[in-house]
Amino acid sequence: MMRRLKSARTGVLALIAGLLLAPAAWAVELTMYYPVAVGGPLTKIVDGLVADFMKEHPDIEVKAIYAGNYNDARIKALAALKSGQPAQLSVMFSIDIYELIEQDAIVAFDDIVETDEERAWLDSFYPSLMQNGVTGGKTWGIPFQRSTIVMYYNKDVFREAGLDPDNPPATWEELVAAGKKLVRRSGDQVERWGMMIPSTGYPYWMFGALTMQNDQVLMNGDGNETYFDAPATQEALQFWRDLGAVHGVMPSGTIEWGTLRKNFLEARTAIMWHSTGNLTAVKKNAQFDFGVAMLPANQRRGTPTGGGNFYIFKQTKPEERRAAMKLVRFLTQPERTAEWSIQTGYIGTRPDAYETPALKQYVVDFPPAAVARDQLEFATAELSTYQTGRVRKLLDDAIQSVLTDQKSVEDALGSAQKQADRLLKRYR
Amino acid sequence: MTERTRLVGNAVYGWLLLLPAAVLLAAFTHYPAVATLAQSLFTSGTALRPAEFAGLDNYRFMLEDEVFWRVLENNVWYAIGTIPASIALAMLMAVWVNRRLPLRAFVRMSYFTPTILPMIAVANIWLFFYTPEIGLIDQIAAGFGIGSRNWLGNPDTVLGCIIVLTIWKEAGFFMIFYLAALQSLPPELEEAARLEGASRWHFFRRVTFPLLMPTTLFVLINAVINSFKLVDQLFILTKGGPDNASALLLYYIYEVAFSFFDQAYASTLTVVLLAALAIIAIGQFVILDKRIHYR
Amino acid sequence: MAAIELIRVTKTWGATVAVRDISFEVDEGSFVVLLGPSGCGKSTTLRMIAGLDDVTSGRVLIGGREMTGAPPAERRVSMVFQSYALFPHLDTGENILFGLKARRVAKTEQRDRLVRVAEMVGLEALLDRKPAQLSGGQRQRVALARAIIAENPICLMDEPLSNLDAKLRHEMRVEIRALQQRLGMTTVYVTHDQTEAMSMADRVVLMRDGGIEQQGPPAALYDVPETVFAAGFIGTPPMNLLKVEEVGGAMVIAGTDGPAVAEAGYGNLVLGIRPEQIAIADNSGIEGRVESCDYLGADTIVGVRVGSQSVLIRAHGRHSRPAGSRIHLHWQESEVHLFNDETGVRMAGVRPLPVAA
Repeated sequence: MMRRLKSARTGVLALIAGLLLAPAAWAVELTMYYPVAVGGPLTKIVDGLVADFMKEHPDIEVKAIYAGNYNDARIKALAALKSGQPAQLSVMFSIDIYELIEQDAIVAFDDIVETDEERAWLDSFYPSLMQNGVTGGKTWGIPFQRSTIVMYYNKDVFREAGLDPDNPPATWEELVAAGKKLVRRSGDQVERWGMMIPSTGYPYWMFGALTMQNDQVLMNGDGNETYFDAPATQEALQFWRDLGAVHGVMPSGTIEWGTLRKNFLEARTAIMWHSTGNLTAVKKNAQFDFGVAMLPANQRRGTPTGGGNFYIFKQTKPEERRAAMKLVRFLTQPERTAEWSIQTGYIGTRPDAYETPALKQYVVDFPPAAVARDQLEFATAELSTYQTGRVRKLLDDAIQSVLTDQKSVEDALGSAQKQADRLLKRYR
Repeated sequence: MTERTRLVGNAVYGWLLLLPAAVLLAAFTHYPAVATLAQSLFTSGTALRPAEFAGLDNYRFMLEDEVFWRVLENNVWYAIGTIPASIALAMLMAVWVNRRLPLRAFVRMSYFTPTILPMIAVANIWLFFYTPEIGLIDQIAAGFGIGSRNWLGNPDTVLGCIIVLTIWKEAGFFMIFYLAALQSLPPELEEAARLEGASRWHFFRRVTFPLLMPTTLFVLINAVINSFKLVDQLFILTKGGPDNASALLLYYIYEVAFSFFDQAYASTLTVVLLAALAIIAIGQFVILDKRIHYR
Repeated sequence: MAAIELIRVTKTWGATVAVRDISFEVDEGSFVVLLGPSGCGKSTTLRMIAGLDDVTSGRVLIGGREMTGAPPAERRVSMVFQSYALFPHLDTGENILFGLKARRVAKTEQRDRLVRVAEMVGLEALLDRKPAQLSGGQRQRVALARAIIAENPICLMDEPLSNLDAKLRHEMRVEIRALQQRLGMTTVYVTHDQTEAMSMADRVVLMRDGGIEQQGPPAALYDVPETVFAAGFIGTPPMNLLKVEEVGGAMVIAGTDGPAVAEAGYGNLVLGIRPEQIAIADNSGIEGRVESCDYLGADTIVGVRVGSQSVLIRAHGRHSRPAGSRIHLHWQESEVHLFNDETGVRMAGVRPLPVAA
């Protein structure tokens, strides 16, 4: 009897030990949130990349969790943080950086890197893509699903309107002139618009392109000052409004971000400004010959960058940070970056990605894929400040109120600037 | 056992029976409400700047907040636009499908379908109704030679569009309640009225409508609450734009809480919302209760 | 001219036949009862007269005018429903006046008529009560008042008393009948209760399985039932119906040795004899054994086993005999009804034989 009890006890102990040891097959478990903001089967691609990583690093288990759009991803990650079940890393909006710093949620990559090689890795990305990831001299975000705005245009329509399909408008004047030729009317009805710039969802982003083209940035590098009422900013908004209200090449009122691609694909507009993230989807679905060009210039060319960066959370153990580093580095290797870019249309985030055979060949076969890269030379950071949600909304509302003729440019931007100043004063 | 101990025992027994429900109610309704109220009296804390007591500062800020007044006004128009129309439509549809008609089950089903669909899916469908040029409405209008209109991009029409969508979504749901109420009315009442020579309208006005009043009160309260609660469609259709022309109170609260991360101000707005809903609900019960016949 | 005339009316619901090719007339000012077990089609018949249900085939004439297919409102009939169909949110006065308001009768006339009708049915004090505040009998009166106030020549009643207790039912029976005679309303009254039919009707239409079994004054149905069904449906307790078989050339009650109760040569028969027509004797007649004695006051219902069948006897006064005791029964042959065993139809030509005491 006694002996049987003993052997039972040994069995239980063995079982417990087994249970404790079983997870040891993975030394580290990582949870990563990531958002999807554009069309296409992005979740499948991410799952594939993560599976590749785990094959190479059997000691690390990665759970990649699709978390909705950028806003949802941030909310979920921060909620997980508060609930004490945090993720170790996440892809989030590049412009969330100040919010995340203020919440003390993330750790700078400078504090994780150990070797010179890793330090060099921090410098391997396009500098304009790093603008949104660096502040106060530290690197907080590593570019991943990054985009810029490019101009998609319908070459067939260009030909029909007597325009050179290989020579898209490169300045604001040319844009207006081309737009006027591209509009097709039947009686009072417009059957096809010259161009469309979306003004719902992310109006401040499109506006960032127009202001940059007018040689004006929207905020400083410390994220505590905005330039909403600068003359060049006002001029840019006036131009945007006039495209519809004066030149008649674009519908007046706001233009929906979500349906714009369909408008373009159905040739209801000859030109659209949209994220490079739509490139693959447009390529797949366009029934006509289309081109992709850099945005036109006024004082200079310009576009904001956009999209998501990797962040590593502060509430992590050292070994988790190291594992997260490994994952980020894996996913940003030139070959993966090239693959990711080809499959999605997002920019290859580093120059050497474009030297890989795969992306090199792709760019030869499909030249539009290089436009976004070439444009990086002229790119600037996306609007991002402390209190970024509020500040962004101030600008969004100002833009929409002008586009819908509720307010004058001067009133709208003046009041937005005044309120932004009030919000940002305490961060100076 | 004395009478006294028996009574005490009964009281304890009663409280024990109430306990599970009371715990749930306290944990998920009362505590959050009180916590919200408390939070509205503090500043929003971040890891680097802890929250401080702010008294009524948040409320003062609210009174000066133009966006708040805008969304409040929008919400009032939204309520006025959706509530009577969806209730009237629900009643009409219920009376219609309560009669013997061919394919009755199919007609009922199709009226009810919008209710089953998630609001997000519905909004995505309607996005392609309203969208200019390629949208269903514009394509139909084009067939009649009417020019394209930017329904959602124009501050004058955007709230109307949201209202129409909401009525479409809600009427079918309310119809179910009316249908259930109508089926519990004895058919002899209508037969008696027919024999008396009462017209269909006379019967509806004098009998059906008053007998549906308890249902109407129930539906009305739901509709009022929904007019403050139902904002999912905004995420897809307009994000409150253009320039807050279609933003509603709860959507603004969401924005403040999760986009601005200003939990204190979001709590302040929530307190206002709760107070408004409570007053409306109490008012409805007090005023309408007197005029309703309950069977 | 008949107030109501049904000519070969049939009603089917899909494959089910609810009413099968029936015809009858209702004389002006008369009280006709549609009697039958539940599901016999009597309510459907009433609803077809009212116009609430369509006629599948056949014709309905009211006041000599073709009314087949006419809407209920044009038929000038009132109806009292089994459930009363009072409007629960309206008070007594509003319920009674509902029809007059619908027909936009002048306000003063409404008031006059209401006062008159309320007095007639004894509701003067209850005019501002809601139906929920009234007793069953009072609700019944409201329903009655609503039927009367329209001053329609015809009133249809669908089991109006079935929701009342026995005592109230009796009172209302008398009252309805009195009211009907006083107002001269032509009334068609549906019931499954033969007592109501016997006590109220000028004429009874007995229905079964959607057809008319027999129609005539109550006495005719009682005295000369045309079928086994009619015989068994009317009377309390109902008529005894005994199988009669031929044994050795004599027609005897099944399971007995005699005596013969009818002349032979017509095949098997059913013999009907009402319980009140059977006399008890000690030693001559048909032999039986007592099964039960139910004393009711004025008389006693004695259950007797005769052969393989049970017989009920209504005996005057008090009788008490132990169960199992042997008695003999006899009756006047003139009280005997004979029916064909197979068809159930009365056989007038067959002669019953005397069963001597």
